[in-house]
Amino acid sequence: MNSIVSIRDVVKEYELGTTVVQALRGVSLEVMKGEFLSIAGPSGSGKTTLLNLIGCVDTATRGVVEVAGKDTAKLTERELTDLRLNTIGFIFQSFNLVAVLNVFQNVEFPLLLQRKLGSKERRDRVMNLLEQVGLHTHAKHRPSELSGGQRQRVAVARALVTDPLLVLADEPTANLDSATGNQIIDLMKELNQKKGTTFIFSTHDHKVMQHANAVIRLADGKVLARESAKDAVAHALSLGEAPAEAPAGARV
Amino acid sequence: MSRLTMLLQIAWRNLLASPVNLIIGGLILAGTFLFVVVGGLLDSLNDSMARSVIGSVAGHIQIYSSKSKDELSLFGGMGGDPDLSAVTEFPRIKEALEQVENVKEVVPMGSSGALITAGNIVDVTLERLRNLFKARDGQLDDPRLKGLSREELDTRIASTRRHVRQMIKVLEADQKKALAILKNQAIDPDVVASLAKVSQDAFWDDFDKDAMGSLEFLENKIAPQVTDAQMMFLRYLGTDLDRFQTSFDRMQIIDGTPVPKGQRGFLLAKLFYEDQMKLKNARRLDKLRDAKANGRLIAKDDELKRFVKENRSQTRDIVLQMDDLKTAEATKKLQTFLASTEPDLTTLLSTFFDTTDENLEARHQYFYKELAPMVELYKVRVGDTLTIKAFTRGGAIQAVNVRVYGTFSFTGLEKSPLAGGTSLMDLMSFRDLYGYLTADKAEELKQLQRDTGAKTVSRESAEDALFGEGNTIVAEATAGIIDEENSFTGVGRRLREDDLVKRVYTDSEINGGVILNAAVMVKDPTKLTETIAEINRVSQEKNLSIKAVSWQQASGILGQIITFFRGVLFLAVLFIFGIAMVIINNAMMMATMQRTQTIGTMRAIGAQRSLILTMVLTESVVLGVLFGGVGILLGSGVMAWLHERGIPAPNDVAYFFFSGPKLLPQLSSGNLVIALIIILLVTLISTLFPALIATRVSPLRAMQSDE
Repeated sequence: MNSIVSIRDVVKEYELGTTVVQALRGVSLEVMKGEFLSIAGPSGSGKTTLLNLIGCVDTATRGVVEVAGKDTAKLTERELTDLRLNTIGFIFQSFNLVAVLNVFQNVEFPLLLQRKLGSKERRDRVMNLLEQVGLHTHAKHRPSELSGGQRQRVAVARALVTDPLLVLADEPTANLDSATGNQIIDLMKELNQKKGTTFIFSTHDHKVMQHANAVIRLADGKVLARESAKDAVAHALSLGEAPAEAPAGARV
Repeated sequence: MSRLTMLLQIAWRNLLASPVNLIIGGLILAGTFLFVVVGGLLDSLNDSMARSVIGSVAGHIQIYSSKSKDELSLFGGMGGDPDLSAVTEFPRIKEALEQVENVKEVVPMGSSGALITAGNIVDVTLERLRNLFKARDGQLDDPRLKGLSREELDTRIASTRRHVRQMIKVLEADQKKALAILKNQAIDPDVVASLAKVSQDAFWDDFDKDAMGSLEFLENKIAPQVTDAQMMFLRYLGTDLDRFQTSFDRMQIIDGTPVPKGQRGFLLAKLFYEDQMKLKNARRLDKLRDAKANGRLIAKDDELKRFVKENRSQTRDIVLQMDDLKTAEATKKLQTFLASTEPDLTTLLSTFFDTTDENLEARHQYFYKELAPMVELYKVRVGDTLTIKAFTRGGAIQAVNVRVYGTFSFTGLEKSPLAGGTSLMDLMSFRDLYGYLTADKAEELKQLQRDTGAKTVSRESAEDALFGEGNTIVAEATAGIIDEENSFTGVGRRLREDDLVKRVYTDSEINGGVILNAAVMVKDPTKLTETIAEINRVSQEKNLSIKAVSWQQASGILGQIITFFRGVLFLAVLFIFGIAMVIINNAMMMATMQRTQTIGTMRAIGAQRSLILTMVLTESVVLGVLFGGVGILLGSGVMAWLHERGIPAPNDVAYFFFSGPKLLPQLSSGNLVIALIIILLVTLISTLFPALIATRVSPLRAMQSDE
């Protein structure tokens, strides 16, 4: 399998007033094509920062981030945007649909940005995806008319509509009840298997984690381990009912 | 294309989401509406005014001496007539200008004014009587009295004598009324005695023994008791009448005929003629009827009520014009018409003129059918010779006899005091009155000075000392109707010779003398600026000492009015759009701040900054074009409606600006384009800053949740 994301010795520092906060302290990571990878860890462990770097919406302070074979540090703003458009799909914690567009238009949006397909092809592609996420009957609905789960399914469709190599999902189930959350993960898994799309999602929910091929455990801006879902779940459970809230030190 | 559709859709839905957009839209709508309608009206006004100014006196371009102290102002400026230097080389100028490609015709001009007093009715009648006596005795050669036999003259003398006696009766009645109100001392005993004397039959029995002496007594003692002699300011434009009429094709002869080519003559402006020279009662009746035709009612209109009141109280102009026979006839007619037994004509007339909205039409008709033929409706009639006397700057009195050939007006401007206030005169007469010293004239004046001695010289220097070297004409003229045969000698006398009136002047004579300005008619009015520049260049090159200005400049303040209103409109629109810009800026700023997550999301999933910029700009452009479009449509609708209906001139002055009784506003496509450009500029500029802020929103913003 080819590597789609390659991260080497990445440090990310933020300036908070006069102090410098290190969100990532030397992270190295390889993600292979077709993986269904979970990034786990408590709040503040650097999950989102890592996803931001992989998603090319942020740049590393030091170290190398390669996405689809491209060193992101060497790309211009425009090139990064194009990379996001054509290679990466995004699923957000709070869905982030464009409120003034309907379901169809939200999913069509990236295709319009790409300007590659004609309107009929766009239409077929969008409707096909909506059918896959089970919302083809809701194409004309506005996001405000949908439930949380439905919205996230629209977001999934939007993330996949450009046939990206990689889909990033930041806590995709955090705003959903567990049943709905499971459905979303199942959907993502299904698409991963059907299309071979690489998924990287962050979560602190062990029920979500267990669907992953592998789990990267982060704490204090460092990769603690890359392990199987079973091990990760077991590890999480060993920390008690609320693994995400546990102080980082307790796990060592 | 679908991207644009999407952006438009986003813009549209975002606009619907925020009520502040309604306020912004309202402002844009109001601004464009105002711009389209008022701008269109001003354009139409400008066009129609241009037609008025160009067609009535200015021509497209005016030229005048570059040595002039003041700028040319054809309709008079703040300080009266401008001080223009004389142009003495007109033939050379004309020749040079006619070489300029776009020039069609050059019409020489000079304008000035004179005060004329139409003598009071007693004076006029006495004058007529004097002439009849003279004609009978073979001392007067008046064309109008020519061919009358001695018997006919005697009949006329008898009738006119009766007329004078009738006047005296009216005056006596006046005096009785006055005595009843005032104390005896308030009235000059001499006046009472004079009136008593002339009302005796004895005075009239002896009248013929010394007709001239009796007339003099009446003129000195009785005529001054009628104090309603009118001073009239007569504005005239001296020009090559023939060329004027062909160049200013809106000019129309209303009464009489044009002045025969090359001859001296006078054409009275019809409006001036009606307003100033017509019998006031008749004029007021006309005005009442006009007002009624325009839907005004006497019962509801203070001005019309005043007309009626004045008509009722001011009947002496009519009464004094009638001799005893006519008085009896008019009394009888009015008694029948009014079904009254009232014996007094003044009272009858007062009742007759008590017009209401109901009886006005009938009385107007009756007046012109029955009463008007018994009186002189006009103080000056077509065919009369008008004597205009003016003081030249040299201090000599210059008197010119000009025959009134007719009246004229400009089509569409019949009621405009601006276009209808200036009468036309031939150039030769104008030059005589202007008194510019040609070599010929200087010699004559010297002769005159030799005759009158040193006094003339001292007076001249006194005036020079008082008024500096100004070449303003102190113009004063007296009664056109009174032909004062023997009052002048020398120049004045010679100028009034009959052959002068009949003489036909050649083109070179007409063009050869002094003028003050000239109208230039062009072939292609769109090339005005270029032609003016060309004329000024030619003037420099050939040392013509003239200056060319556009009709707009030449018309003085009048020409600048539209420019002024355009400025006001500009400021108003600027103000409205200024407010709109501030509000748009604020609203878009707020909207951008509220939408950072959406913008961040779009950026994250691959939208370039340019798309975000376009999105925000599209939003306000849609807003602007939408409401601006409605404003333009509404404005165009209103303009179309106004064009269909026309705006009636609210008063006589407006006739000039409207170039006729109605303004038919025309929507100019130029204004629509400008309105659209303004809207686009306003919306783009006011949104540029919020849009730039929006492009700075980081895609990271998508990852942060709103809570």
